[in-house]
Amino acid sequence: MMSEMIIQTKQLTKKFGNRDVVENVNLAIKKGEIYGFLGPNGAGKTTTIRMLLGLARPTKGSIHIFGKDMKKERLAVLRRVGSLVEYPSYYGHLTAYENLEAVRRLIDVPKSRIDEVLSIVRLSKEANRPVKGFSLGMKQRLGIATALLGKPDLLILDEPTNGLDPSGILEVRELIKSMPSEHGITILVSSHLLSEIDQMATQVGIISKGKMIFQDSIETLRKQSKSNIHIVVNEPETAWRALLSRGLQVDKAENGLMLENVSDQKVAEIIEALVKEHIAVYRVQEQKQSLEDIFLQMIGEEGSL
Amino acid sequence: MFGILASDFLKIRRKMIWFLIFLGPIGVLSLQAVNFTLRYEYLTDLYKADLWGGLMNNVTMLAVPTIFIGLAIITSMIANIEHQTNSWKQVLALPISKFSVFTAKFTLGLILLFVSSTLLGLGTIILGLVLKFGSSIPYLELLKIIYYPYFAVMPFIALQIWLAITYKNQATALTIGIIGTVVSMYAVIFPDWVPYKWPTLENQWGEPLYSVGFGLLVGLLIYLMGLLDFIRRDVK
Repeated sequence: MMSEMIIQTKQLTKKFGNRDVVENVNLAIKKGEIYGFLGPNGAGKTTTIRMLLGLARPTKGSIHIFGKDMKKERLAVLRRVGSLVEYPSYYGHLTAYENLEAVRRLIDVPKSRIDEVLSIVRLSKEANRPVKGFSLGMKQRLGIATALLGKPDLLILDEPTNGLDPSGILEVRELIKSMPSEHGITILVSSHLLSEIDQMATQVGIISKGKMIFQDSIETLRKQSKSNIHIVVNEPETAWRALLSRGLQVDKAENGLMLENVSDQKVAEIIEALVKEHIAVYRVQEQKQSLEDIFLQMIGEEGSL
Repeated sequence: MFGILASDFLKIRRKMIWFLIFLGPIGVLSLQAVNFTLRYEYLTDLYKADLWGGLMNNVTMLAVPTIFIGLAIITSMIANIEHQTNSWKQVLALPISKFSVFTAKFTLGLILLFVSSTLLGLGTIILGLVLKFGSSIPYLELLKIIYYPYFAVMPFIALQIWLAITYKNQATALTIGIIGTVVSMYAVIFPDWVPYKWPTLENQWGEPLYSVGFGLLVGLLIYLMGLLDFIRRDVK
């Protein structure tokens, strides 16, 4: 189990002055996963990612990547990591090819690799244009190409779809989704949009105010969604009273009643009671919480503490 | 290390940096060309014992402040390539040590200014020949007046590259550089321990090599301090 862990942090903490920007974060990312790192702006995502890349020093706690201690073997770890932190870095006065060449000279990979990564992100045709004329989506793809240059086993992408138009988002998303299967890469991708993460990630970690408040598969997150049963009846007030007198406590809602998290058995029981009381039941409908609702609820709960 | 330098040389393409490297010596020599053309009779009479020496003195007088302002601008431009594009995080997330990143930037500054100084030396020879100062060119003296100030100014190269890298707003580095340039013009009257005086090669022992020695030593020290600070600091 331990051997296939790609990233593992223990009690990772970063303080700026007295403020805990990241507090006791325990990340666990396994090989081949697309791990969605989710949280509102300012929750500590970027700070965490900076610590993973060795750009910022943790105040407390440890980081192990590929089972190696980041503090002691930073360079050995970084050799196998590709990254894109926030908006892409590019030298506007250089062409796409020269930009990649500037990085290639630093990491010592064959020149042919530049053409390979350019074709992965489909920028081969634009290779000899200065980057300052690129659209944001193209710049972002160039950023991903740069991250892929060293044939990484782990890709860390911070907000890769930020500021892109819908087609740009789609392109980047498809690119990210193809990585684990085609290139065997593990990916950590951060975003403040749950819908984004939902569409590409297999695992999800939610951070809010510097603390991890959820870390598991997307499916587990979905299971947390409460299902409410909304019953539309002709006389809500009478119905509510009748149920109460039978010892069945429900909530009043618009045009009817609301049952929160009840078993199928209980739903049947309540409807039976309503029928016996001669109340007209128009509709029984399930209202499922969306992932977005769960996300907002989690962050909200944290915020009210 | 060599790879990082190669990358840095690629990054300064189309950035006017090479233009400035040529502009410095050409500016100094043009002014001296005007000076010597307009006052040819007077100056050749004044320096009749040593025409080349006179020319070299005049060149040095202008060269020292030019080196000061030049090194401030060049180091700032080198660092600003990364600031402008927010590339520090990208560069430092690569498997290269912070030591070599900082050292490469420092070395790039050293190489560029070395090229500038060399051009000044070559230009002085050409100017002297054009002014018909004879073919007995004092090469050794020339090497001294070109490269001694270059070595003696080392503390300021180290200081400016650290300032330019550390403070994203280049106004800080440039302000200090410009103040230094003005100060350097009056540096001859300072006591010997003031680093601004060293590039003038004047000291109480009358031995330029002392100025060079101080410069190299203190330059190395400031480079090391800057390096340690760069390694310790979180990347923005």
